[in-house]
Amino acid sequence: MKKPFALQKNPFDVYVFSLFMIALSILISFSNLYNRPGGDLYVSVYIENALIQQYSLYETQSITFTQAEYPILLGDIVLGIDDARIRIEQETSPLNVCSEQGWVSSPGLPIICAPNYFMAVIEAPIV
Amino acid sequence: MKQNRVQKLTRLAMLLALGVLLNYAEVVLLPTAFITPGVKLGIANTVGLIVLYYFDDRTYFFYGMMRILLTSLFTGFGFNFLIALSGWLLASIVVVVMHQWNRLSIFGLSMIAAVFHGVGQILMVSVLYQSIYMLNYLPVLWVSGLTAGLLVAKISQQVLIRMQRIRI
Repeated sequence: MKKPFALQKNPFDVYVFSLFMIALSILISFSNLYNRPGGDLYVSVYIENALIQQYSLYETQSITFTQAEYPILLGDIVLGIDDARIRIEQETSPLNVCSEQGWVSSPGLPIICAPNYFMAVIEAPIV
Repeated sequence: MKQNRVQKLTRLAMLLALGVLLNYAEVVLLPTAFITPGVKLGIANTVGLIVLYYFDDRTYFFYGMMRILLTSLFTGFGFNFLIALSGWLLASIVVVVMHQWNRLSIFGLSMIAAVFHGVGQILMVSVLYQSIYMLNYLPVLWVSGLTAGLLVAKISQQVLIRMQRIRI
């Protein structure tokens, strides 16, 4: 039978950790490079991968997407835009992950309501 | 741990029940979506590491698959099931390969499992939504995966040391 793995950390663990940290630095660098916004930001809403509508990020409002209009939704979804941030104010899903996520203000960081096939994301022209 | 077939099956069944319970309890009792979607401690992975320590790679793979299926009986077989399945599959493949390499300790294996679990989940969401935006969550899940992996390894290490002391 194969010998079980060691219970005490060894140099190879440190190498793995170092590799992960190097990869993380590269990831963050690329992410910052890619997500440099140029121009006014806007909010894009996708349902079932299709772009439904785009809204200004600088206009405070609550937008309701009804189940009657989009049958794939498990219930009505209310998207809130305030102070250049977005959040899901109301939704129906088993774990309520997207409404618990709270406010998002970073471009490119989507709010996804997975069971509803709903995604809202702040977008910007890329420079 | 010397064991015959029945003992092995009984022990696996108990570990599987514990894994499912911990997995479900974490989903229900420790909601962490306010940090970032997908971030979680993965406390059920402690049981996975114990299975990998006492059994073989194939059993570890089987245990993981059964844990996902049984937990999904409670949480549903929808979108979350696909995300959990992809995370488990990628993490398990990498862990089994690394385990075969036989150089890493419980800390290295646990870190790899946690980080690749997050990567697998993000890849699945990116495919399902046909959007690369989800990749922006990768650095966050990477850091949380490393932290959670180390923590889970420490817990598993302490449990395994105590199990050896009482000769389970």
